Amino acid sequence: MFDVHEMEVNFGPQHPSTHGVLRVILKIDGERIIEAKPVIGYLHRGTEKLFENMAYPQCVPHTDRLDYVASATNNLGYVEAVEKLLGITKQIPKRAQLIRVMLSELQRLSSHLLWLATHALDLGAMTPFFYTFREREEILDLFEAYCGARLTLNCMRIGGMPDDLPDGWLDDLEEFTAKFDPAIDEYAALLNTNRIWKRRTVGIGVISPEEAIDWGITGPPLRGSGVEWDLRRAQPYECYPELQFDIPIGKNGDTYDRYLVRMEEMRQANRILKQCIPMIKETPAGDIKAKISRVIRPPEGEVYHSIEAPKGELGYYIISDGKTQNAYRCRVRPPSFINLQALPAMAKGYLVSDLVALIGTLDVVLGEVDR
Amino acid sequence: MQVEYPKPDWTEKFLLLDLFEGLKTTLRELFKPKVTIQYPEERMEPTERFRGMFRFSFDRCIGCKLCAVACPIDIIYIDVHDETQMVDGKPKKLKVLDRYDIDVKRCMFCALCEEACPTKPKSIWLTTKTYELASYDRNDLYFNMQQLEYWEDRPKYTGLPEENAKPQIEAGKPAPAGARLIPGSAE
Amino acid sequence: MNPWMLFFIWPVIKFLIAITIVLTIVAAMTWVERRTLGFMQARLGPNRVGPAGLFQIIADPIKLMLKEDILPASAEKVAYFLGPMIPLLPAFVVFCLIPYGPPPAFAVTRVNVGLLLIMALTSTAVYGIILGGWASNNKYSLMGGLRSAAQMVSYEVPFGLSVVGVLMLCGSFDLVKIVQYQERHVWNLLPQLVGAFIFFVSMNAESNRVPFDLPEAESELVAGYHTEYSGMKFAFFMLAEYASMLVNSCLMATLYLGGWTFSIAGYGLTTAALSKLGLLGGLIGAAIFFAKVMALMLVYVWFRATFPRFRFDQLMDLGWKWMIPLALGNIFVTGILVLAMPNLKIDAGIYPYGELLMAVVGAAIIALTLFLVTRGPRRPAAAARPTEPPKVIHASRVSEA
Repeated sequence: MFDVHEMEVNFGPQHPSTHGVLRVILKIDGERIIEAKPVIGYLHRGTEKLFENMAYPQCVPHTDRLDYVASATNNLGYVEAVEKLLGITKQIPKRAQLIRVMLSELQRLSSHLLWLATHALDLGAMTPFFYTFREREEILDLFEAYCGARLTLNCMRIGGMPDDLPDGWLDDLEEFTAKFDPAIDEYAALLNTNRIWKRRTVGIGVISPEEAIDWGITGPPLRGSGVEWDLRRAQPYECYPELQFDIPIGKNGDTYDRYLVRMEEMRQANRILKQCIPMIKETPAGDIKAKISRVIRPPEGEVYHSIEAPKGELGYYIISDGKTQNAYRCRVRPPSFINLQALPAMAKGYLVSDLVALIGTLDVVLGEVDR
Repeated sequence: MQVEYPKPDWTEKFLLLDLFEGLKTTLRELFKPKVTIQYPEERMEPTERFRGMFRFSFDRCIGCKLCAVACPIDIIYIDVHDETQMVDGKPKKLKVLDRYDIDVKRCMFCALCEEACPTKPKSIWLTTKTYELASYDRNDLYFNMQQLEYWEDRPKYTGLPEENAKPQIEAGKPAPAGARLIPGSAE
Repeated sequence: MNPWMLFFIWPVIKFLIAITIVLTIVAAMTWVERRTLGFMQARLGPNRVGPAGLFQIIADPIKLMLKEDILPASAEKVAYFLGPMIPLLPAFVVFCLIPYGPPPAFAVTRVNVGLLLIMALTSTAVYGIILGGWASNNKYSLMGGLRSAAQMVSYEVPFGLSVVGVLMLCGSFDLVKIVQYQERHVWNLLPQLVGAFIFFVSMNAESNRVPFDLPEAESELVAGYHTEYSGMKFAFFMLAEYASMLVNSCLMATLYLGGWTFSIAGYGLTTAALSKLGLLGGLIGAAIFFAKVMALMLVYVWFRATFPRFRFDQLMDLGWKWMIPLALGNIFVTGILVLAMPNLKIDAGIYPYGELLMAVVGAAIIALTLFLVTRGPRRPAAAARPTEPPKVIHASRVSEA
């Protein structure tokens, strides 16, 4: 009669705050989490297997669907990996590189805005959602003007870019960058010093730098723990070495630090965009593609290339057998999947309400976790 | 670069200034113009490059099947047969299309087919600014050649003047001034 | 007058009018809330049905009535049906006790322990939520129900304690007398600033509104206690929430904002001034009252647009460790002042030490709060935090680390 047993709750896959189809099996004692076990695979589409049966250029639209809120960086990682395999990384024209950088920084902004929106909504603050989406719409408008799509962009090609920038695009971008910093200040006014927000985030889900490195966590969660590791700096690609930006790092490794790191990253991304605009005006118009053959058949070999996606290190490992136009094997290293494995250890001992904050702060996208 | 932690002093803490900061922000937004687009009445003007519904030109198509090859999900079905026709008084072997179907319901609008098309201007293009493609019957979204070329009954972007909404480029003639600019076309 | 008329028919008519007003305001409030919230969030809110979306008020209930009423297979049927009814009743009954205009016409009844009765009735609403949450046989509902129970019980205490200061000043439980005290002196908001603050926070918590909307926190508990409810039963829960908001706002307007009067130190639109105008005066009084109520309701909406949600233990923390001591301190200080200056009590006319009283009360409570605030919030997971800040590892040294 008096035996006490913990309650088991299925948190997801249909739940408002699991950001898609994440399922967490919770063992809870009252509201305190004893054990959290993430169950994934509800969005598995076999993308890696699809890559084996598809010519290299055809894979690009499929990479859009990995992290479907940051498709430009997915494209970038894939095309760079193939370019590395082909050995044409150096031949990419400067203008194409700058367009790539601009698109991926815009994508970083858009992804972080979506993260802020959902993270704040999960913690009960409803309004940042709408403010961030207002700015995100403008970023999507820029994407649409460049490549014709808003979300699944398919905006990069092996060896360069599909199109040059349309007329007036840079002016629109300049206008956007000018008003984006005040917009960040507006989100910060709602949350940064808010005592309720701080109570919900300070000291929640602490990851020490050693643990973060052991788990292989990358991206803002790693930097929030105080490790200054950003692939844009550590393994520079495209024209990032020519650009000035800071890598924000936190100190305590809690949810609040990760929040601050991402907010600062948005400011830095905006700073990069501002630098790109005068640089791209100096490059010759139309010089956006390296001279490569239409049929892409890389030599036999393998390559691993990773870039700094908004959520962390996004790597592609491609093996080519040198005979076909398809990859023999393509493995994607998605940041969300690796970051998600910290969830059980982070959630232990916290309340159900904090689990929501933790899922939000890890910023997982299930399309990428399940692939 | 270490992130900065906001350090409210005791007056801010005591007077709940952090909470009032948020309240001030939402109150200010109350009087700002709104960004909502009221959809059925107001519609977003798609950009020039917007990838929407397909349009196909039978006269321009040379039946090379490059678009079908480029399609990542193989939804373009093409059948051709060879035919000898008189061109400029000389007999010439030409490919004639029997079938050009697109299973639009499976399409992901990546526009790789448009990019692969070798004709100038393109014989298959997506820059029609049409995005209201929903249908009550999934079979409505399987388009054959005729439907792809003449889908005036499809809902289309209504904010444009009527003459711009229709394709203006006649087969074999240069595009009239003010016509849509198709990416990758002769211009 | 015929006693039947006086004690039965007339009250019933007034009760029906009161119910109509409640339902109208509650229905209108759903529209006002969604519209205001929309405007604060850079969007428009519902504007499709009728002029400016006003018919949304009608469209929503019609839609809910036409929806299928789902009964979960393993639900406890009786409790499941009772759940949505229980919170609705006290909200309606309580509204009969609130004077929303100059007496005697503009209140259904006048009870000399009105305030006590209201507190007693409003606290019964929690039964419905617990019953509904438990009877749905859903773990999220159960958690929502339990959260709600704990929250309402906890905040009932500061809610009651904060009113004591008003009672000491006014010397009566009768809401009419409390309003009449305020029109002769000043709105209780000023001398009872801290009390009003506590009352306001507690009333937010009592009606499960942001930032205290934990029982129905949609990002944590899906929809909390009404996860399994649909159709009209769900509408009843919503109705109860809005009715409780309305009742609390009415109470706040009466206790702290001078009710139907708009006067200071006996000058302005007092009861006497309104009575001279007859029925028109009564209507003006009611209009003033409802203007105050609507302003408070909009503050609810404003809060909802701005704040994140508390965590459950933090909510309890705030209730037990902050609000209750603060309310007790408020009672203590107010008590000393009322005793020290007996001529400040009710019917003492315009007091000479009014400003002094306010200043002293304010200063004392500021000091008390300051003492509490500067202690700072306790970090809930102190054990899990690293004792010293981790050292910064730079990219070049990651391999060493």
